[in-house]
Amino acid sequence: MLNLLGTIAGNILSLPGILGLALGMTTRNLLLASIMGAIVGFAETLIFAGFDMSNVEMLELVISMGVGLLAGALGCAIRIKGTTV
Amino acid sequence: MTDNNSRPGFFRRIWNWFWTPTAVLSAGFVLIIGFLAGILFWGGFHWSMEMTNTEEFCTGCHTMETNLGEYRETVHYNNHSGVRAICSDCHVPKEWNHKVKAKVMAVKDVYHELMGTIDTKEKYEDHRLKMASQTWKKMKQSDSRECRNCHNFEYMDFTIQETRAAKEHQRAIDNNMTCIDCHQGIAHRLPEGYLDEYKRVVDELAMEEAPKPLETASADTDTVRSYLKQSTQKTSGD
Repeated sequence: MLNLLGTIAGNILSLPGILGLALGMTTRNLLLASIMGAIVGFAETLIFAGFDMSNVEMLELVISMGVGLLAGALGCAIRIKGTTV
Repeated sequence: MTDNNSRPGFFRRIWNWFWTPTAVLSAGFVLIIGFLAGILFWGGFHWSMEMTNTEEFCTGCHTMETNLGEYRETVHYNNHSGVRAICSDCHVPKEWNHKVKAKVMAVKDVYHELMGTIDTKEKYEDHRLKMASQTWKKMKQSDSRECRNCHNFEYMDFTIQETRAAKEHQRAIDNNMTCIDCHQGIAHRLPEGYLDEYKRVVDELAMEEAPKPLETASADTDTVRSYLKQSTQKTSGD
């Protein structure tokens, strides 16, 4: 459980959470924002695994992409709510 | 009659203010303020996290006295060169992602300090094997990542090592072994039955990493029969 929470927190404060949110804020398209966030999550996991898919842990990949996806969607919601353009 | 002009509540007014486009601040001003605030926040956050990596912080709890005493008798605390490895050098990863994960997981230490799980010598000894086992598992899983922040096979000069050490390090390279495979108890006393426990940890990890057996493909009898019939017809046609 702690391992899971730690992984989620690590991702929120890392690229998927921060860059995912920032990228999400660049569009009003929720789907596009979520996809961009998930791609960041995928890329980060790959970077930490030294660009070797055999080193990628499935749980970390899923959490990373999930956090990226949610961060992207949140960024999009902020864009819709907080801007007029 | 309802009063449509009633003043919204405090939180509603804050919410509305937060999301209303600014009419008095330029985009540049908001960007610069946001940038500066970001630096301040991130700097403060990082600084606070580094504060939790100091030896004073780690050993501030009563339950850490035993570990500290044992660590002070090792070469990682006191040696001829004065280069030291403190608690966080071995127990906290350097990479951001892994570091945050370790910090969140360390919340359990605060809980156990409050609950007094290991607050007496007897309790500590009862839990020693379990605690050591958890750390070995983490180190084995990460290929002794924290050891390798300072120790690296590539830069080891085997010619100035003791013959036995040089031989064992060469064996470790040849067999793709990791530091913790041999160096358990490098900074803390080894618990009783540690060899059996370490073997259990290694076996458990090997089981987790082993490829899962493929599920037997299921096909209904009619599909198989029809496939075989087609194959037979093709063969007789040839």
